[in-house]
Amino acid sequence: MGHEEADLISRCQMGDQAAMKEIFDEYRDKVYRVAYGVVRHREEAMDIVQEVFVKLFLTIGNFKGKSSFYTYVYRTAMNTAIDHVRKLKKSTSLSFEDDAERYLSDGPEKRPDQVAMDKELEEKVKGALAKLPDDQRAAIIFREVEGLSYQEMAKAMDCSMGTVMSRLHYGRKKLQQLLRGYVKEGGKT
Amino acid sequence: MKDSCSSISRLLEKYFDRETTVDERNLVQDHLRQCAACQAQLKSMEELRATLRSPVDEAVKEETFAWVWQKIEREIQTREKPSWQESIRAWFGLSFPFRRRVWIPAVAAALLIVAIGSPLLFKETPSQTELSIVEYVQSDTNNVMVFESEKENVAIIWLFEATEGEPST
Repeated sequence: MGHEEADLISRCQMGDQAAMKEIFDEYRDKVYRVAYGVVRHREEAMDIVQEVFVKLFLTIGNFKGKSSFYTYVYRTAMNTAIDHVRKLKKSTSLSFEDDAERYLSDGPEKRPDQVAMDKELEEKVKGALAKLPDDQRAAIIFREVEGLSYQEMAKAMDCSMGTVMSRLHYGRKKLQQLLRGYVKEGGKT
Repeated sequence: MKDSCSSISRLLEKYFDRETTVDERNLVQDHLRQCAACQAQLKSMEELRATLRSPVDEAVKEETFAWVWQKIEREIQTREKPSWQESIRAWFGLSFPFRRRVWIPAVAAALLIVAIGSPLLFKETPSQTELSIVEYVQSDTNNVMVFESEKENVAIIWLFEATEGEPST
C-alpha cells in the first residue's frame, strides 16, 4: 500500500467524504466487474457496488493496513456478490428477462439476432457460473474477468497459490463442460 | 494427444495465465508447435475467457456511477453515527487506535485539573440569609422582635429587656 493510499484511508477513517469519493472513483470499476461477473445482471451489480462501498466506509476503521487495501476491497466485493446470489436463490430466481430491454436499447449498432444470441449465451454463462462451488467461481471471476495474478488471487482468497491454480483448473474444466456447444471444449487434460 | 500432454497440461494453464518462468514458457511453446490437442485446449480457454469477460467490459463502459455515489453518500450519512470514543479519537487525529500516545498527557492533564479544581468546587460557602423584621412589640419590661428568613423559611424571635436608659416610644 502506497503512502498516498494510506493517507487516503486514514482520511476516510476520520470521516472525510472527499477521501471516500476518491476511493470510490479508484475502485468502482473493479467492484462493478466482480459484481457483474458473479450476478451477470446490471442492476443487481449496481446494487452490489452500493452495498460494498457502504460496507467498506462504515467498517473502514477496522482496516489496520496489515493487508493491501485492494485485496480487502476485492474480498469484500466477492463476498458481498456471492451472498447476494445466495439470498436471491433463497427468495426468487433472477430473471434475465429484466435485462433484455436494456440489451436491446444499449446496443443499437447490434443486429437483433446478434442481441438474441448474446442474451442466450449470457443466460447460459450465468447458469453455468451458478453451478460452480463458491471458491471456484471466485477464482474464475478474479482471473478471467478481473485479470488478477495468482499471487493477488491468493491474497484476496486467503489461500495458497497452489489452491488458486487447483480452483481455476477445476472451475475452467466444469465451465467448459457446462458451456459445451457455446464454448469449444479443448483436448483432454 | 501426445504422451507429454499430461505433464504439460498444468503448465499450459500457467502459460495461458502468463505465470510461467522463461524455461516453462519455452517448454510449452515447443510442445504447442507439435501438438494440435494442446493448441485446441489453449484456444478453448481463450474462448471461455472472452465469453466471461466481454459482457463485463461492455457493461462497465456503459454504466454511469454518479448516482450510485450519491446514494452511497446519503446512506453513509444516515447510518454513520460515531460513538463518543470515535469522536474523541477523530478529534485527536488518531487514524489507527492508540497509534499515537497523545491521549496519555491529555488524560493526565485532565486528571490534574480535576484534582486541583474539585476542593474548590465542593467547598461549602456560607450562605447569606436575608432576614427581615416582621414584628416588633414593645412593653414596659420586655421588647420582642420577630425576624423571618425568606430563603430558609425560618423565624427568629428575639426577646430582650428594655434598658432603663432607653427611651420608650
